[in-house]
Amino acid sequence: MILGIDVGGTRTDAVCIAGREIVASAKVLTGSDLVESIIGVISALAIDCRQLSRVVLSTTLSTNAIVESKYPRTGMIVSAGPGIDPHHFFLSDDFYLVSGAMDHRGREFETCRPAEVAAVVAELKQKSVTGVGVVSKFCTRNHAHESQIHELIKSDFDYISLGHLMSGSRNFPRRINTAYYNTAVMPLQERFVGSVKKALMELGINANLRFLKADGGTYMDAAAERLPVETIMSGPAASMMGTLARANSRETVLVLDVGGTTTDIGALVDGAPLLEKGISVGGRKTLVRGLNTRSVGIGGDSVVAVVDGELKIGPRREGPPVCLGGKLPTPMDALRVLGDFGEGDAAAAYQALAGLAAPLKREVDELAREIVRLTASSIHAAARRYIDELNAQPVYTIHELLHAEPVRPAKVILVGGPASYLQKYVAAAFVEPVEVPERPEVTNALGAALARTTGQITLLADTQLGRLTCPELDLVMPVDRYCTLEDLKKMGIEALNRNIAVLGLSPNAQFDVVEEHSFNMVRGFSSTGKLLRVKIQTRPGIIREWSQSC
Amino acid sequence: MLKARHATGLVFFPAYDWEISPTHPERQERLLYTQDQILEEGLLDIEGLHEFKAGLASEADINRVHFCVPDVAHLTTTSHFISAGGCIEAARHVLEGDVERAFALVRPPGHHAMRVVQGGRGFCNINIEAVMVEWIRHHYPRIKRIAIVDTDCHHGDGTQDIYWHDPDVLYISLHQDGRTLYPGTGFPGEEGGPGARALTLNLPLAPGSSDEVFLLTVNELIRPVLDEFQPDLVINSAGQDNHYSDPITNMAFSAGGYARLTELLNPDICVLEGGYSIEQALPYVNTGIILALAGLDYSYLREPDFDPYKLKDKQQNIDYTKQLCRMQLKRWRDRPGRPAEARLVTRQRNIYYDTDSISENQDETFRLCPKCPGTIRIDSSVDYGPHALCIHLPRQACAACRAQAREWFESAGSNFSAVYFQDQERDEFIVRKR
Repeated sequence: MILGIDVGGTRTDAVCIAGREIVASAKVLTGSDLVESIIGVISALAIDCRQLSRVVLSTTLSTNAIVESKYPRTGMIVSAGPGIDPHHFFLSDDFYLVSGAMDHRGREFETCRPAEVAAVVAELKQKSVTGVGVVSKFCTRNHAHESQIHELIKSDFDYISLGHLMSGSRNFPRRINTAYYNTAVMPLQERFVGSVKKALMELGINANLRFLKADGGTYMDAAAERLPVETIMSGPAASMMGTLARANSRETVLVLDVGGTTTDIGALVDGAPLLEKGISVGGRKTLVRGLNTRSVGIGGDSVVAVVDGELKIGPRREGPPVCLGGKLPTPMDALRVLGDFGEGDAAAAYQALAGLAAPLKREVDELAREIVRLTASSIHAAARRYIDELNAQPVYTIHELLHAEPVRPAKVILVGGPASYLQKYVAAAFVEPVEVPERPEVTNALGAALARTTGQITLLADTQLGRLTCPELDLVMPVDRYCTLEDLKKMGIEALNRNIAVLGLSPNAQFDVVEEHSFNMVRGFSSTGKLLRVKIQTRPGIIREWSQSC
Repeated sequence: MLKARHATGLVFFPAYDWEISPTHPERQERLLYTQDQILEEGLLDIEGLHEFKAGLASEADINRVHFCVPDVAHLTTTSHFISAGGCIEAARHVLEGDVERAFALVRPPGHHAMRVVQGGRGFCNINIEAVMVEWIRHHYPRIKRIAIVDTDCHHGDGTQDIYWHDPDVLYISLHQDGRTLYPGTGFPGEEGGPGARALTLNLPLAPGSSDEVFLLTVNELIRPVLDEFQPDLVINSAGQDNHYSDPITNMAFSAGGYARLTELLNPDICVLEGGYSIEQALPYVNTGIILALAGLDYSYLREPDFDPYKLKDKQQNIDYTKQLCRMQLKRWRDRPGRPAEARLVTRQRNIYYDTDSISENQDETFRLCPKCPGTIRIDSSVDYGPHALCIHLPRQACAACRAQAREWFESAGSNFSAVYFQDQERDEFIVRKR
């Protein structure tokens, strides 16, 4: 049996799966102690805990710590070399710039000075800092400086994050943010993993523990302690994966997650969510791979107002709908008046809408219909913009420009609280069929329970310099000039298999090569080597036990 | 957090699957390191910087500028359509107000492609700036006066040729002296046709020129001329081969210098031209141009091997450049007004297509006209090849010029393998083959 738990801001949901059956589900209110909420929801499931083989958690722990700046003072040691002034990327006074520079091929042109690093260490220790991130520009090409600094400081700090281990992607400012946040939430994650393990043990659960990541994949607890930053924004990922489990098709699906304040728009393409190389948290961009989603300020509780004689919905939310005790009219009140939503005070909703209808000289029923129509058409317009943006993303080869398939959804899946009440109105706005999955309340927990493990690595071979690197696996090795793209892919898959535990992957993970490039290097008029680049990943998706049984 | 002072668009199209030949400077690898640098610097994350997808130019876009002999398909590859299309996208986003400025970082380049195209010249088949300019003038008639400042190390003889007679386009080129470098033209006396005198301004610079010399030309000539011409749009043909590390030229310009030049020039649209020091120059020069366009600080940017002492300009180069600027400023200030009456002016030229080893003879007849930019008839022949007659009728052509162009078209003898009529006013391109 697999247990999926989604610890949300207000509610903690759990779902227990056996094969393709949901054998139990439960919810509790999320308290201030997340571990207690987890124990509470497991108890509420009333299942035989000894039967569990896997527990998957999706939490807001690291996201909230970052957004609310509730993390310990964290130091950063950065080496950059020329470019944009790196001081622009410093988030606090605990960021230090040291000597050392690599160029875009990873050739050192300024050495790292140990004495400078020692001075920074002394200062950070004076400030009682226990966690430090180390990032150098172009470390994904050559991480020698990061490793050198690591050697110099490893006995002085409890928590250290090295830039090249965060991601193989090129983006120095994002790498700084990523390493900083990762270090910042390490102590918190470590305590959390410890307490959860202890609690599970006490409940008689002897199962492996996984965490849901922003990309809709999971990883093992040990990897989560090393790279906690990957768990940010796992809530939307849980919802998307849950929807994928329900959709269970390889068609292109547009997913609309309608909440109280906002609607999140995303897409499922070929049986996997659409990903983005780096997502934002707390207003800062990172290299954490996440879902490609857009949020629009329109939801079930958005304030409906009349501005210059025109109806306007959102982006503000001022508490619950009037029918549920709020003060200002919302689309939910319109749905209440129309009878689509059956809970709460119908008379209060009618009164609230009447207040808007009078100055517009309209009937209340007619206004209610217009409000839901406008809500649906605004969501539709935002969804169109999202699809247009996806199809306007730049490409870099003639082949892609001429032959890339545009994203065209075959259907729309509507999830979230108001989904079922809004369905027929949203369906009227779209040409594509609009579906609402069954039991929407367990979608997130289901997504956590059923997500596959994911990880990715980047391999670069520069045969002129005779060097092969894989930043995520901390790998540097010599390579000869006969190395081909095929060799590199083979080496990458072997390296992945050797490092399954490091990346927190499941032993039966399947790998895909997602990017491969080969460039001849020509200097003067002769070929001097090749630059080979490969990205290998395990695709986010739903575990086979679930997806194959239907 | 960093925020661009000027909203800036970037159209990046490295054409990772296109080359002229495997060891040619125009090969897949050319913009690879530039992309590495742009991504690693996080330039595209800066608020106010936007990356846009390249598009495809159409055959009609090309026929608005060129006479491709025998036709467009014979002289282009898809990459040319995307390179020109990338420029058009950059212009579109500027003119639609999505961004204030834009940079088309595309390949292959285009500034050696002339009005008549019988083959490839200096890695160029299609003049991507000119295709963009004519697309702009066709779609946005409010744009009347355009200035093109060509800062590529090679003289932009193609762009000069296309706008030679055009009184609404100012063409200024900075380049290494033509006596020492391809294409061997761009001398101060090349000043535009009789209807557009001093609207072509050439500044041949001495080999070895560095930052001080380049910035001097902007301050002493280009800025004052632009301020007086008051163009609706300034375009920079941003070739990057003046860099001290470029393998096929002999200048000593730096990435910081390019950034400063861009800042002073204040262009609306930049278009990449040449630049073949793909590892030591392009990553830094492009970063500098993007930062300067966006109005961001670039003072921390320099090449790994940058040494200002090695790159100091010689006093004699500075003196020469000052004198050259004074001379060209005088030429500009003394430029004649519009002609009093119409007459036909002829010239004969030989044009060599180095990429395809074609030698072309051109007999050009230009109707100098007091009322409009004037119509052009070009008799183009190559040995053992096609003999073409190309008739160009500009925008705002007067009735007399239109009648003249029609007469040329209709009376063309059967000795021509094809007769082309490019009617910019009606946006038509008519071909009559033997």
